[in-house]
Amino acid sequence: MSNLEPFNPRGMLHDGWTSQVDDFAIACGWAKKGNIFLVGGSAGGLYAFNGSNGKSLWNKESSHQEGLLALDINPEGDNFATSGQDGAVRFWNSENGNELNFIDLGKGWVEHLCWSPDGKYLAIAFSRTVYVYSSTGKEIWKSEQHPSTVSALAWAKENELATACYGQVCFYDITQNKVNQKLEWRGSLVSMVISSNGDIVACGSQDNSVHFWRRSTGHDAEMTGYPGKPSNIAFDHTGKLLATGGSERVTVWSFEGNGPEGTIPGELGHHTEAVSSLSFANKSKLIASGSRDGSVVVSFLQNNGDGNPVGAAFSGNSISALAWKPDDCAIAAVNSKGKINIWNFKVRTE
Amino acid sequence: MNESKKVPVTILTGFLGSGKTTLLNRILSEEHGKRIAVIENEYGEVGIDQGLVINADEEVFEMSNGCICCTVRGDLIRVLGNLMKRRDKFDYVLVETTGLADPGPVAQTFFMDEEISSEFTLDGIVTLVDAAHIDQQLGRSDESSEQVAFADVLVLNKTDLVSEDSLKNLESRLRDMNRMTRIIRAEQAKVPIETVLNLSAFDLDQVLKRRPSFLEPEYPFEWTGVYNLEAGRYELILEDGPDPEMSLVVFKDQGTSEGDLKEGAEFCVRYYSESPLEIFNGDHVPFSKHVNLNLKDKGPKSFILDVDQSCNVGLFTQHTAEEFDIKLLSVNEKNKGELVNTEKERIWVAEHEHDDEVGSIAIERIGDVDPEKLNTWMGRLLAEKGVDIFRTKGFISYAGNPKRIVFQGVHMLFTAQPDKEWGNEPRRNQLVFIGRNLDEEQMQKDFDKCLI
Repeated sequence: MSNLEPFNPRGMLHDGWTSQVDDFAIACGWAKKGNIFLVGGSAGGLYAFNGSNGKSLWNKESSHQEGLLALDINPEGDNFATSGQDGAVRFWNSENGNELNFIDLGKGWVEHLCWSPDGKYLAIAFSRTVYVYSSTGKEIWKSEQHPSTVSALAWAKENELATACYGQVCFYDITQNKVNQKLEWRGSLVSMVISSNGDIVACGSQDNSVHFWRRSTGHDAEMTGYPGKPSNIAFDHTGKLLATGGSERVTVWSFEGNGPEGTIPGELGHHTEAVSSLSFANKSKLIASGSRDGSVVVSFLQNNGDGNPVGAAFSGNSISALAWKPDDCAIAAVNSKGKINIWNFKVRTE
Repeated sequence: MNESKKVPVTILTGFLGSGKTTLLNRILSEEHGKRIAVIENEYGEVGIDQGLVINADEEVFEMSNGCICCTVRGDLIRVLGNLMKRRDKFDYVLVETTGLADPGPVAQTFFMDEEISSEFTLDGIVTLVDAAHIDQQLGRSDESSEQVAFADVLVLNKTDLVSEDSLKNLESRLRDMNRMTRIIRAEQAKVPIETVLNLSAFDLDQVLKRRPSFLEPEYPFEWTGVYNLEAGRYELILEDGPDPEMSLVVFKDQGTSEGDLKEGAEFCVRYYSESPLEIFNGDHVPFSKHVNLNLKDKGPKSFILDVDQSCNVGLFTQHTAEEFDIKLLSVNEKNKGELVNTEKERIWVAEHEHDDEVGSIAIERIGDVDPEKLNTWMGRLLAEKGVDIFRTKGFISYAGNPKRIVFQGVHMLFTAQPDKEWGNEPRRNQLVFIGRNLDEEQMQKDFDKCLI
C-alpha cells in the first residue's frame, strides 16, 4: 500500500484553485455573481477571494468576539451578513470588507441568519427571538418569544418567514405581523428546508428522523430509521427531491406522484463517514455531498431519488460547508482545518 | 475519533446555595494546566472569573416517542456543537447545572447524541450538598435526591456549620442513597481538584482498577482484629452476646496499615457473599472461608485456630469484639493459656436499614451467570423500572467467557463490554442499582435465577 500516490479528481470535477485559512471554516458562499468567494471561520475570521483564481482580496481577523456562528450572503446585493457569540450582527461589503452596519442584540448567541429570496430582508435568530432587518440595518419585525431556542430559519415567500424550534414550525407574515400557520410536533427540530413552491416544509429531528408537512393539506409524515440525526437536509430547485444526511449515506426522498410516503428512497453510499454537508446545484438535479471523512461527491439524481456519482474529490478533513457557484460551473468546499477547495464542474456539451 | 482525544466533561450539580460557583472558581483559579470551558445554566450572584464561559438556558428536549432515555439537553447540544469547532481554546468542559436540574438528560446527552459523543466524553457527575440544609431539601424535592443518586462524587460542603454527629448521620444517609459515590467533606468548597476532575467515572475499566469493589465501603462485618501469631494452636473464646450466631472470616498474612485493612476488607466482602459454613463450639476455624459460628450454647464458646507458621492473622467479625468479649488464647506448650493481644483493631461502618425513597441496591454473588437469562432479566427490569433506576454499574461473569464483563447505565441506556481476563481471581458478580423505590429482595431473587 506504500506506493499509493495522490491522484487528480476524476469524473466531472476538475482542479480549480485551493487556499488555506488559519481556522475551522464553518461557512462559505459566492458573492457578486460568483466573482467573489467568501469564507467564515469559527474564531471570527472572514476571508474574501477572487472567485476564479483564488487570489486573496481581503480578510478580517475577528469579526465577532468569542467567535462567528453564521454567515449569509445577500442573494441580490453585494453585501453579506455575519453573526456571532457576541450577540451582534454585522453587514459587510463583500468587495472591500468594509463594515456597513452593526446590530447589537444584547447578551447571547446569534446563531442563524437568512436573507429573503429578493435580498430585502435579513432574518436573524437570537436565542428564542427572531428579528427581521432591512438590508440597510433597520428593524422591520420582531417575533414573540419562541418556546425554546430557534434552531432554523427559512423563507417560504418574499414576506413569509418560517422558524423552527423544539416542538414547532411557525410561519409568520412579517409585513402584517401575524402568524400564518403553526405546525406542532413534539420533537426537537434541528434543521429545516422549504420546497421552492413553498408547500412542503421538512425538518431533521434530534430523534434521528425527518418530519415533513404539506402546508396546503396540513398532512404530515415522518421518515424514521436514520442511524444519526439529519442535521443536513436540502431540496432541489424543483422542490421534488429532498436529500437528507443522518448517516454516511445520502438518502433522497422523491415527492413525485404520491411519494414519498410508501416509497423507497434513493441511497447514495459513497462516503465512509457521516455526511456533514449537502448542497443542490442551483438549476439541475446535481447534489454535492461532503462528509466527515473529507470526501466530496457530486451525484446526478433521477426523478425517483436514485442517482449516480459523476465526480469525487478529497479535501482532507471533515467538510463543513459546500457552495455551488451561481452558474453551477464550480463547487466549493471548506473544511474543519481551514482548507478551501474549488473544483470546476465540467459537463460535455454537444 | 480516538477515545483519549475526546474532551472530558464534568457535570456540576447541586442546589442553589450549595457552593457550585465557589467550587467552579476554585477549580478555575488553580494551577492545573488545563484550559477549561464553562457552560453555565445558573446565573448566581457570584460571577465566574474566567474567559471561556458560556451562558445557556437549560432546555430539556423530550422525544416524540416519549422515551425518557432519549430525553436530552438541547442547550448542551447547541453549545458543545459550536464549542467543538474551537478545540484550540480548551481541553476540558465543566457544565454547571441549575439547582433544579434533572441530571438524567444531562448525562444522556453524552450517550444519545452521536455528534456530541464522538467529540466529548462524560468524565463524572459531581454534586455539591449544603451540609446544613440538605436534610430538609431531600425531604422536599425529587431533584435533590436525584442529584445525590447520580453523583460520582458528593461534596459535602459547609461542614464547618454542622456538628460532627450530624455530619456522620448525614453521610450515612447519603451513602444509603448512593453507595457508588465518594463523599468528600469540604468547607467553602475547598476540595483537592483531582477529586472532582479526571475521574473517568464512566470508564468502568478505570474505576475498577482504582477500586476493585466500587461500592463505597459499608461492610457486612463490623470489626477486624489483627494478631501477630507464632506457629501453633489458638483458641477463640466468645462469651454470650446479642446474637445466637455470628459470621466470621479469618485471613493469614493480614497487614496492619489502613491500606492493608481496606484491602483485606474488600477481599472479605467477596467471601461474605458466599453462603457460610456453619461450625460449632469446639470446631476448627478454616482460613479464607466464610463461616457462621453457632453460639446457641450458654457460657463461653471456643473455636480452634491452627497456625502452621508465624504470621499476622486477621479476624473479620460480623459484630464487634466487645459485644461477645472476643478473646484469643494461646494453647501452645510454651505459653499455654496466655491471652494474645491484637496488633491492630478496626471498626467498620455496618450495613443498616434504609429509609429514603432513593437508595442503592447492591447484588454480589460468586459464580457465573447465563448471559441469555441475564439479558432477559435486565431488559425487562430496565423497561419496567428504567424511569426509577438512575444509574447502574457493575461487572458480571458470563459462563464460558474468559473475560469479565463490565457494564453501566443511565436510566434505560445500557452498555456492556468485555474487560480484563479473570485469570485466577474467583469468578463473581457485582451489580449496583441506584434508584427510587426499588425492591431489593425481588431483584436479588431474580438475579439468583440467572446464576448457573
